[in-house]
Amino acid sequence: MASVTTTTSSKPPVQQRGTFSKKFNLNYFLQDNISGSRGLLIWVSILAIVTVGLLVQQFNNAPGRTWVIFGVWAVAVLGTVVGELFTLHIGATRWLKENMFNNVSNSLMTLFLGLFVAIIGSGLWSWGVANATFDPALTHPDVRTFDGASWGVLWGARKLLLTGLLEPEHNGRVIQWTLTILGLWALSFIGTRESTRETGWGTWVRRIANVGWVLSPFISYIFLAGLEYTEPFIDTRRFILGTVLVVAVMAILWFFKVIQLNPMTTAMWVLAWPAAYLLWRGITLVSHNAEIFTPIDVDRWGGLLLTVIFAIFVNILSFPIGILLALGRRADVQGIPYWILWPIAIALTAWGLYTSTFGNCIGTPSFLCENVNLWATSRNTVEQIIAFWPLLIPLATWAFLRSFDGNFLQAFSVLFIEIIRGVPLITLLFMAIIMAPFFLPEDSQGLSNFWAVIVGYTIFSSSYMAELVRGGLQAIPKGQYEAADSLGINTLQKYRFIILPQALRILIPPLAGAVIGTFKSSSLVALVGMIDLVGSTKAIIANSQWLGLRTELYVFMFVLYFLVSSIVSWYSRRLEDQAGLGVR
Amino acid sequence: MTAIMDGPEATKVSDVIVCRDVHKWYGDFEALKGVDLTVEAGEVVVILGPSGSGKSTFIRCMNRLEEHQEGRIIIDGIELTHDVRNISEIRREVGMVFQQFNLFPHLTVLDNITLAPINVRKWSRDRAEELAMKWLTRVGIPEQADKYPGQLSGGQQQRVAIARALTMQPKILLFDEPTSALDPEMISEVLDVMRDLAKAGYTIVAVTHEMGFAREVAQRIIFMDGGQIVEINSPENFFNNPTHERTKLFLSQILNH
Ligand SMILES: Nc1ncnc2c1ncn2[C@@H]1O[C@H](COP(=O)(O)OP(=O)(O)O)[C@@H](O)[C@H]1O
Ligand SMILES: [Mg+2]
Repeated sequence: MASVTTTTSSKPPVQQRGTFSKKFNLNYFLQDNISGSRGLLIWVSILAIVTVGLLVQQFNNAPGRTWVIFGVWAVAVLGTVVGELFTLHIGATRWLKENMFNNVSNSLMTLFLGLFVAIIGSGLWSWGVANATFDPALTHPDVRTFDGASWGVLWGARKLLLTGLLEPEHNGRVIQWTLTILGLWALSFIGTRESTRETGWGTWVRRIANVGWVLSPFISYIFLAGLEYTEPFIDTRRFILGTVLVVAVMAILWFFKVIQLNPMTTAMWVLAWPAAYLLWRGITLVSHNAEIFTPIDVDRWGGLLLTVIFAIFVNILSFPIGILLALGRRADVQGIPYWILWPIAIALTAWGLYTSTFGNCIGTPSFLCENVNLWATSRNTVEQIIAFWPLLIPLATWAFLRSFDGNFLQAFSVLFIEIIRGVPLITLLFMAIIMAPFFLPEDSQGLSNFWAVIVGYTIFSSSYMAELVRGGLQAIPKGQYEAADSLGINTLQKYRFIILPQALRILIPPLAGAVIGTFKSSSLVALVGMIDLVGSTKAIIANSQWLGLRTELYVFMFVLYFLVSSIVSWYSRRLEDQAGLGVR
Repeated sequence: MTAIMDGPEATKVSDVIVCRDVHKWYGDFEALKGVDLTVEAGEVVVILGPSGSGKSTFIRCMNRLEEHQEGRIIIDGIELTHDVRNISEIRREVGMVFQQFNLFPHLTVLDNITLAPINVRKWSRDRAEELAMKWLTRVGIPEQADKYPGQLSGGQQQRVAIARALTMQPKILLFDEPTSALDPEMISEVLDVMRDLAKAGYTIVAVTHEMGFAREVAQRIIFMDGGQIVEINSPENFFNNPTHERTKLFLSQILNH
């Protein structure tokens, strides 16, 4: 029986509602809140002085508003104190106590922040709403109000903000494309939600959405750039060149034992390009005859449209490239042996030295060997030394063998990643625009600035992506690789089923960061003359109709960038929850 | 453990593991200094030795998780060379169980087990799942098939790892300290499964510190030290009259411990 009594009496005494709290002790209260330590005392004093100062100042400036804030605060404090002392808490006072008035310094902070928010809010209110005009006709400097915002500019300049210089007759295509992308997003959303519930169709919806995302650069291209049909239907050179390239990739992968081949898979590789090419040409021909996707000049895209296109293209292209670079950097493949490399290097050096010092291009195509006779044309010592540039080949060969053991994949990935990461984005963008023509055949019409920037930006983004992914790969314990190996799973399956799923799960938060970063940094393209959201803002401000309305536009951009970034990070948290990262 | 499933069909009654003068270097450090070993089909061999003596390195060479630089290793008639086809063929016939289980944490128990049969042996999912469930039942945890590894105890995880290795229908099983990461009360459940497999006629090479298990189940005991095999002996002789000084020292250290 004794034990029963102890159990009941050891429960905390239930206090009668409305009686004076037995827990309250003034000494403890003062110690916890004010005099507990010197730091606390100083902090509370400073906070009290600053808050009272602000309060007095606000009583003078805006008495009505300040009385209201102070009154609400005082009542809330009183309610909390009474509720606490006499055990009278109801839901609301308990919430207030826990979130705003749980000690003296937080109560002061609540008042201070309340006053502060009121100051900022009232300023914003009078600028943005009370004194603002919303009529697009009232934005010209002659008729504009200078007390508040002229929001009319957003409506007046909507075309430039949304699509830049794009001709209005293409707006329908932009809307169709927007709906397609939103639809894709909805599919992903539904698919991921349903597939976690183990219903069969959710998985399929997600797979369709994934294929859609992979294809989305092509889909976007068809909608936004259109399809230009040129005779002949099949360009033999492209047809053959593409097939040869794909087969070469296959051969390299096979040689490095990344993939294994059987007649079936070999046929798939060989037929991949012809099939894709024919499909593409077929779509082009159909669209040409039916005049569905008429060509649009990509350099006329602008505004929000261009910003979003950059974000989508660059993120979707740089993700797989980044994964490949990361895998390449870690690739532990058989290097090219020195007995193959050295003879080639020596032959190249000899040939280079011969042509650059004595030679006159015997048996070499003229485009390779124009003015190579550096020695004969040299005018000073420096140029004479430059004539011996082929001596760099053995040096590079030696360095390659020494640092990378002939591992070509690794050397390429490491050099690519490190060089690109060592260069500022803006430099790359300028280089892409200025240097692209040098790499193109002379007869081509040249690369449009848009594509040059996409290439430059994707290269930049993928090298960062590669390092992110590499971090994820390194977080996977060695035992996972060993378990896969010991089961006889080949390299491709090992990454596909075991390593990448785990690595990408870890990588969701940093990848979301990278996506947001790419989206925001795309504003740099305004510096190379693209009219993206920032670029069109600059153009609008310079227009006499909207001269100098920068605050309105920057607030608009702030809200827009913030919204998109928030959506991406919300979505990534959702993905993370679904991947069960926290649960494991 | 009750019912005993058929072991692998008895192939030629000959040597399934043949190691000749195997050398292995980690950089400048020689971890294996010429190891010779022959294991017959159906034989159970336990490798003992102090920490760092090269036991793990040796059995990891048998399925090419580590690459030996000198000597020959022939598994089930196939020599381990640089040829990937040989390596993957051998890995199909050799199952391995690790100290740290190494289950795939993002896959359910069933998916952990069926991944390799489906992708390597090219079985249908149904066939793979059927055999997987058979093995899960055999190791005593069929009810855990839909859980994730993180939801299981260490002993259960190790039994899943054994089922995963066995569903590939290997002829040879390698165990590298399979009980060393387990809490004491879970050790016996794993040892029971191993004992069962030994009776079923699998060829087993196990590194373990469970002396009772070694004494009871092993047909031969290999004692390694400093990257070499010091002594090969039957369990009785090994524990009762060890021939080599280093073996005696090792045993005395263990027994006095
Ligand atoms: N990856 C490695 N790199 C360098 N040295 C290693 C590596 N793995 C093992 N060793 C060394 O090889 C020796 C044998 O190791 P190991 O085979 O793990 O021993 P055991 O399993 O008998 O404890 C040890 O000295 C160890 O330090
Ligand atoms: Mg070991």
